[in-house]
Amino acid sequence: MTSEDPYLIALFPSTSGALMAEKLFKREGIPHKIIPVPRHISSDCGVCLRFSASERQRAETTLAGKVDIQDICPI
Amino acid sequence: MKREIDARGLACPGPVIAAKKAIEEAGDCVIVVDNEAARDNVCRMARSQGCTAKVGEDAGTFSIHITAGGGPGKTEAVVPSTGPTVVVFPSDKMGQGDDELGTVLIKGFFHALGEVSPKPDTLIFFNAGVKLTVQGSEVLEDLHSLEEQGANILVCGTCLDFYGLKEKIQAGTVSNMYDIVETMLSAGKVIRI
Repeated sequence: MTSEDPYLIALFPSTSGALMAEKLFKREGIPHKIIPVPRHISSDCGVCLRFSASERQRAETTLAGKVDIQDICPI
Repeated sequence: MKREIDARGLACPGPVIAAKKAIEEAGDCVIVVDNEAARDNVCRMARSQGCTAKVGEDAGTFSIHITAGGGPGKTEAVVPSTGPTVVVFPSDKMGQGDDELGTVLIKGFFHALGEVSPKPDTLIFFNAGVKLTVQGSEVLEDLHSLEEQGANILVCGTCLDFYGLKEKIQAGTVSNMYDIVETMLSAGKVIRI
């Protein structure tokens, strides 16, 4: 990560949504990491997908119409 | 006069390695870094070594004042030291139930392990757990970062051999049952995942 390309996280309404999104990211070759939802965002035991801000466009296109996204926000 | 190490401009994990060396050689020392990630990593490592770390900031430069463990007789009172913490991984999943969920959970577990402190002293992988340490594992990055911060990673050689993965190991050291048993028996606590 550099200051010009910070990480974003995509949050999903369900764990299965996060799993589906991970599969789609893998298929598209979008670098990502599945991580627990940071404590300052939610105290639930959820998982989310972390990726570089520069991949935002590709990430959104990849998930559009396939997985419901709850939010995409900086980590 | 404390030894002062200028670790500005060093790429990760340079500052942590420099700090570790300074602690081992000099005990009390001051590490100067120029970014928050290095500051956090150095502090975490120092605390994992039983030292205290105090940070001063000046115009984007952080000075981390490290006091060696056991200093002023308070470390022992704050951190009851009962021996190393050992985490064992008998499986490449976390928990029993759905395999896909177990895979996600173990990835989340390793990420969180990198974020919190104190860190475990030793991680032991056996049976299907060894799959986490070989080529293609999705937690290799986390394992390497734990190793850089001083964690000892033992991987069961019998298990690597059984799964045909001996040539593919990418993290930790190939170990045997004697090491594994001794490590477990001399641990302060053993956490089974």
